[in-house]
Amino acid sequence: MELKILSAVLILLPMASAVFIYHTRKLAHLLTSCVLAVELAAAVMLTGFVGEAFELPGVCGLGLNFSDTGLQSWLCILAGFLWLVSGLFSGKYLKQDSKNNRYYLFLLLTEGAIMGVFLSADLFTTLVFFETMSFASYPLVIHHGTQSAIRAGASYLSYAVIGGMVSLMGLFLLWTLLGTLRYTELAEAVSSYNGDSKGIFLAGCLALVTFAAKVCMFPLHTWLPGSYGEAPSPATALLSGIITKAGVFGIFGLTAKLFEGSHQWGNLILICGIITALVGGTLALFNTNLKQTIAYSSMSQIGFILVGTGMTALLGEENGLAVWGSILHLTNHSFIKLVLLLVGGVIVYNVGQLDYDVVRGFGRGKPALAFAFLMPALGVMGVPGWNGYISKTMIHEAIVEYIEELEHLGEAADLYHVIEWLFLIAGGMTVGYMTKLFVCIFLEKNTNPTVQAKYDTQNKGYASKLWLFLLDGCALMFPVLGFGAHATQDKIAAFAQDFFGSGVEEHIDYFSVGNLKGAGISLAIGVVLYVGFVRTLIRTKDGYRNRWPKMLDLENRLYVPLLFTVLPFVGAFCARFVGSLFEWASKLVNKVLFFRYNKYVTPGEDHYFARYKAEDPGVRGYRGQLAYGLALFGTGFVVVIAFLLISNGFLF
Amino acid sequence: MIRLFLFLIIAVGIPAISLIAFADHDTRTANVNLICGLMIGLISIGALSFGKGTCWGWDFGVFALRFGVDGCTRIFGILFGCIFLLAGVFSLEYMDHDHAPHLYNMFFLLTFWAMLGLSLSQNLFTYYMCYELMTVLSLPLVIHERTDGAMKAGMKYLGYSLFGASLALFGFFCLSRFCNSTDFVVGGSLKAAASTEPGVFLFAVFCLLIGFGCKAGIMPLHFWLPTAHPVAPAPASAVLSATITKAGVLGIIRVIYYIVGADAIRGTWVQYTMLTLALITVFSGSMLAFKEKLMKRRFAWSTVSQVSYVLFGVFLLTGSGLQAALLQVIFHAVCKTALFLTAGAIIHHTGCTYVSELKGVGREMPLLMACYTLASLSLIGIPPFAGFVSKWQLVTSGMEVFGGFGIAGGVVLLTSAILTAGYLLPISIDGFMKDGTIKAHRKPTWRMNLPMMVLSGALLLLGLFPHGLLAVMTFIGELL
Repeated sequence: MELKILSAVLILLPMASAVFIYHTRKLAHLLTSCVLAVELAAAVMLTGFVGEAFELPGVCGLGLNFSDTGLQSWLCILAGFLWLVSGLFSGKYLKQDSKNNRYYLFLLLTEGAIMGVFLSADLFTTLVFFETMSFASYPLVIHHGTQSAIRAGASYLSYAVIGGMVSLMGLFLLWTLLGTLRYTELAEAVSSYNGDSKGIFLAGCLALVTFAAKVCMFPLHTWLPGSYGEAPSPATALLSGIITKAGVFGIFGLTAKLFEGSHQWGNLILICGIITALVGGTLALFNTNLKQTIAYSSMSQIGFILVGTGMTALLGEENGLAVWGSILHLTNHSFIKLVLLLVGGVIVYNVGQLDYDVVRGFGRGKPALAFAFLMPALGVMGVPGWNGYISKTMIHEAIVEYIEELEHLGEAADLYHVIEWLFLIAGGMTVGYMTKLFVCIFLEKNTNPTVQAKYDTQNKGYASKLWLFLLDGCALMFPVLGFGAHATQDKIAAFAQDFFGSGVEEHIDYFSVGNLKGAGISLAIGVVLYVGFVRTLIRTKDGYRNRWPKMLDLENRLYVPLLFTVLPFVGAFCARFVGSLFEWASKLVNKVLFFRYNKYVTPGEDHYFARYKAEDPGVRGYRGQLAYGLALFGTGFVVVIAFLLISNGFLF
Repeated sequence: MIRLFLFLIIAVGIPAISLIAFADHDTRTANVNLICGLMIGLISIGALSFGKGTCWGWDFGVFALRFGVDGCTRIFGILFGCIFLLAGVFSLEYMDHDHAPHLYNMFFLLTFWAMLGLSLSQNLFTYYMCYELMTVLSLPLVIHERTDGAMKAGMKYLGYSLFGASLALFGFFCLSRFCNSTDFVVGGSLKAAASTEPGVFLFAVFCLLIGFGCKAGIMPLHFWLPTAHPVAPAPASAVLSATITKAGVLGIIRVIYYIVGADAIRGTWVQYTMLTLALITVFSGSMLAFKEKLMKRRFAWSTVSQVSYVLFGVFLLTGSGLQAALLQVIFHAVCKTALFLTAGAIIHHTGCTYVSELKGVGREMPLLMACYTLASLSLIGIPPFAGFVSKWQLVTSGMEVFGGFGIAGGVVLLTSAILTAGYLLPISIDGFMKDGTIKAHRKPTWRMNLPMMVLSGALLLLGLFPHGLLAVMTFIGELL
């Protein structure tokens, strides 16, 4: 078996079977599950081919390149696993839905495309599959077909199209400047490039846009609440859990291959990352919708991954901690969001709505669900012992390491001190909003006693056995990954680090006092935020209130008016002006030709050029004839030609 | 011998069949005649295209008619044949309740005949003859509906075309001072005199380029497109948009690469003016399509924009630019045919012409709208569809030559791609996702579905495997 065949199975099998499955009637779910299981198995088999690569010259014009490194096969495994769990979960979730074959069609198409992204060995291939993935996942977002879903989908699609085109521009520039887009050749091409490096940086920034939009990097995050909120929960789990990671993979590629050790790039990603983490955290704290809170949480956590990625560029050769931290936070976040959003799915399935006031108290007396929610929540908060703690600590340590390095060199490290604190505050926000969610759903009683009574009657049979098995089985993973970090997370990171080329050599004591201190600060900030902010401002006597000012809605206040009203108006105005020049000119000629003769000649009234009235009213004379007009026109024409000929020195 | 025979089949056989099609008032036999004529044309031009080109010529004193086969003939001739055949199959169903299908069939075939002649022409005089013939023979297609609007649009089409053609003719007269012959010779046949009088020479070339550019819809001579396309029957609009605009492109390619030679105008004001005009047209066309509410006129504006992508590639005057332009010629023709045929199917089966009326049309005609979606993704330039390949090549080859112009080209082309998404995708989304009152009287039959499936399948295959096309385009190397 070759990598080629395996890649064909990973990319083409789901796409081909999707079309077939679309036409089956009742077997769709079963067949989809089988395909997804095969995909996971194939992804696991990829680990046997690490280091291999192949190309398909000429396909799509430039030729596609594929390779298999540790990181890539690990991402494929993640994708395979998440797709399988989400696919299995979809069965009952979509039971009453008449359009579920369409859902499976695009579910499988998206899987094939994302495998292509993860197996790609150059930026061109990455972008080709990335765009395919964006478009294939669009029908998943608008699956319910409601007004708000379509609006959310429009936003999602706009980001995909505009982001994709901007990135394409970046790739054009890179291709022209460097002559290659392959990950293996980029570093060399950059070092041997002797022009202005600003061009490459600009190209990199443009190429970043579509990936940044997909990972919800601030200020390209405005599609997030709509799309995450409107998509069916299993699809949201994929959007948040793994489709964002395709964007992260693109950013990894740019950072590790194109801007290795570039401080300018490192700072850009770092600062964008920390802003994203803070904005996401803030919005999650304010939000009062179950799925949107988890969505903003995704944004915030991706901010952490970006901070780690930025540190890999800043730290240069000694970036092992940052590399491990980024890869592990990516992994942990995928698993965590899968379970959290599927729990959200169980709630939507039973309740049908997601507002805090409605779902409040739903989880009381449902220990299996509470367990499935609590484990990933503790993980994402970074509580020592759960998985998120490990990766957050590593990223934190990477910042600390860089500060020490700078101070050792005698350079100013103020900026990075600030970033370290912001990082801890963002961690605190995570604690705050996850506590808010858990308390609301699982501890508090609904304000309406009849609703609470209804929820209590659902304590049995609110979820199928398969669902609870999937959820609790996955939830069990988080403490295992956390407490057994050396046996699990270290292995994963060591396996996947080859994409960056460096990793952690020495043994890290995850539970040392220094490391626990960071987590402790975050937890303390979180408690302060929850008690001081959520309990006083968001949770009022009449229920939860979102107090985020409407003025700050970037999408509806700025992007939509700008893109769909102002710019098209200006553009269309200019286009119409330029486009009508010749029409006006011909109208003018018409007017000259038929000057003052409207009585006899009526141009435009008839479909022939002109019509002469049968009766001549009697006014005769030289100026009364059409010949006069023609003579005028002819004279003008001769003058123009003569002028042209003379000015070109043709006559004299 | 057999090649001459094939040529005669095209030259004499197709008009003969068209006359039979005209004489036959029985729709069924007239349709059979139409398809036969198109098939015969396609097969003959396909067979002619293999092997080296023989030239057939007749001299009439000063003028000479010359026909033959070369690289451009292969690409354009076979493209014209395929598009006409698919649109012809589609029109079988579209025209079934028409008032004069026999007239339509006759002029459809005759236009096809003129266009095959166009692709086979081997000197400028022959090209000009066929070009005018094509204009005149396609006019009855535009005014087929016989309404007032159609008549007016037809006159506008004729006016613009004649203006453009006479501009080209004027350029042709001026240019003849500077050329040894007006035969299409690889690399051109320019006399040394051209360099002594650059002003007049460049002016003559400019007139020729703008004149032929009129058919390709370059601004400011583009206005006939959005007027003429919406009124013609849909298969005729498809052919007008996909192939007749390409006749202008072919004229420009012939002038630049076969009469004056690319070197003669490289770096002159002619090149920069034409590049600027092409870019302005790309943007304005997309912008106005985005604002347009009438479906077919929207597609016509889109043609204005997309054909100027081709011109941008041609005026780069490099091998890779020309290759990208030819790819765009083919891909745009396929995409735009698919779009106009979709519009035709919608108009024929539901009677709706405005974009806002199309909510829910995807549920009425799922297969057709799925094909439409694929074609629009390709026209936007979403990988892995064909449009992506040509756009990638256009922009990268632009950037290779001109720093500033290349980047401006990239920005304009990508802005236009975003606008393209803005005017094409809402039709799909509304069609599939929204509920509307739209109702199809009947379901489209295979005669409408088959051409659509062939076209959208071709877009996917050509996008994934453009090698075959690139192999046909190796002749570009000789041109520079």
